[in-house]
Amino acid sequence: MKGYSPQALLRLNERYSIFCQLIEGDALPDHRFTFSAKDNLCTTEFQARAGSRILEGYRPPFDATPVHRMRQEGGLLIGKTNMDEFGFGTFSTNSAFGVPRNPFDEERACGGSSGGAAAAACLIPGHVSLGVSTGGSIACPASFCGVVGLTPTYGRVSRYGLIDYGNSLDKVGLLSRTVKDLSHFLPVISGPDPKDPTSCVQPPLDLNHSREGPLALPTECLEGLAPAVKEALLRALDKLSVHLGVEVHEISMPSLRFAMPAYYVIATTEASTNLARYCGMRFGVPEREYHQHFNDYFSGVRSEQFGDEAKRRILLGTFCRMVGFRNKYYLKALGVRDLVLEEYKKVLADHSFIVSPTMPFLPPRFDEISKMRPIEMYRADFLTIPPNLTGLPHISVPCGYEGGLPIGLQLVAPHWEEGGLIKTAEVWERHFHYHFPEVSP
Amino acid sequence: MDRATVQRVAKVARLRLSEEELERYAQDLEEILNSFDVLDQAPSRDSFSFNPVPIDDVTREDEVGCDIDPEKLIGPMDTYDGYVRGPKLS
Repeated sequence: MKGYSPQALLRLNERYSIFCQLIEGDALPDHRFTFSAKDNLCTTEFQARAGSRILEGYRPPFDATPVHRMRQEGGLLIGKTNMDEFGFGTFSTNSAFGVPRNPFDEERACGGSSGGAAAAACLIPGHVSLGVSTGGSIACPASFCGVVGLTPTYGRVSRYGLIDYGNSLDKVGLLSRTVKDLSHFLPVISGPDPKDPTSCVQPPLDLNHSREGPLALPTECLEGLAPAVKEALLRALDKLSVHLGVEVHEISMPSLRFAMPAYYVIATTEASTNLARYCGMRFGVPEREYHQHFNDYFSGVRSEQFGDEAKRRILLGTFCRMVGFRNKYYLKALGVRDLVLEEYKKVLADHSFIVSPTMPFLPPRFDEISKMRPIEMYRADFLTIPPNLTGLPHISVPCGYEGGLPIGLQLVAPHWEEGGLIKTAEVWERHFHYHFPEVSP
Repeated sequence: MDRATVQRVAKVARLRLSEEELERYAQDLEEILNSFDVLDQAPSRDSFSFNPVPIDDVTREDEVGCDIDPEKLIGPMDTYDGYVRGPKLS
């Protein structure tokens, strides 16, 4: 991070609102590299608020395992990055502590929910950001900010110290300007951790393992794309096909149409129980009106401190698991997840990866986002949700530019095969030149 | 979803909603749940998994340990004489 002082980072942040908290001091301490952590990862020297006012003032007494491992590797944590409240969003506009602006156009969104993480990766050369994905929160902002975003297999990276959104969906991953950085740091943060049992079943990470065979392009992923995105995808596939000799097979994956509703049912159901712990006693600022009945006290704190989208998702999740609706929504969605995963496995038995654009449109302007209905925002995630629902590793790499704005390409691999994704992304990088905005420190 | 249902769900979720919120969330949730109707077309299953990858039960030796100083854990809470303060139960 040559040339960056804490003061320069502060100036950068005033312009782009990347960080909700930033390292202070006259000069950065000696370090091998710098990294940042999404605000829902616990660290000892910063607050962990997950973009929510209800966690104002909460300073964890421990580091999340991925943060701890990055420090052990010699990394300097320079700040906590802005995000949608608890990860609830596609544009990082649902944050109580600042909305990050797109490095390519400040009037546009970074994507979400790891928007600050993607902007930091884009604007600070050599920087690596720890992001978190539940339904696409690494791939989406990576696409909108023109960086590489790797979401590992569910369980590859310990979730100890991550503020939960959806336990069966949350994954810690990485964002950076190049896949080379990701291949260096993925082994650092991966591996079993006794503090997170879901990380203890993983096979060893093998970065030398590559995957051969044709790419699969589901026709379902071509529906409703912005023309510029479709053209960039087809140009990228042409490049892969003509110059790199990779065959592309157009296929159909009918189960993908069930992925969006299944994801939102599972995610909000899990979120509504996870967020029950925020009641003004154990974390964040207490209300101190103890004369009230506990129901009134808890309801008061939660109603005042949760943001609009958090309330919407709590209501949705609570409804989906209520008596009379649990079978129709939650249990049905769990079965659908298995169905989608089976279809993925079938396709990936004959293909190296499944390819699609990462997002269906270019980074939108903030005034466009303000006019979107919640259901339109949920539907915007239809390309990133399926691999996230099924815990499959995926990577987003820049594959084109339209009007100076980046477009991302997404590759999905079988469980535990991050190595193949990295190898292929490295080949792609050798044949496609990434652009980054020039910003003086 | 009608306003009465939203009100009932909000009570379960310990949320107190304004009239404006009730109206808006009722409309939003109606739209969202309508889009979930496609799930009815998916085949039903007798069994399902709770995680996308198989998770084994992982146990460790049951040894006394202290990862985090309890004083640090209790630090952010409002305490009095070693007890955590909270609202009335009845």
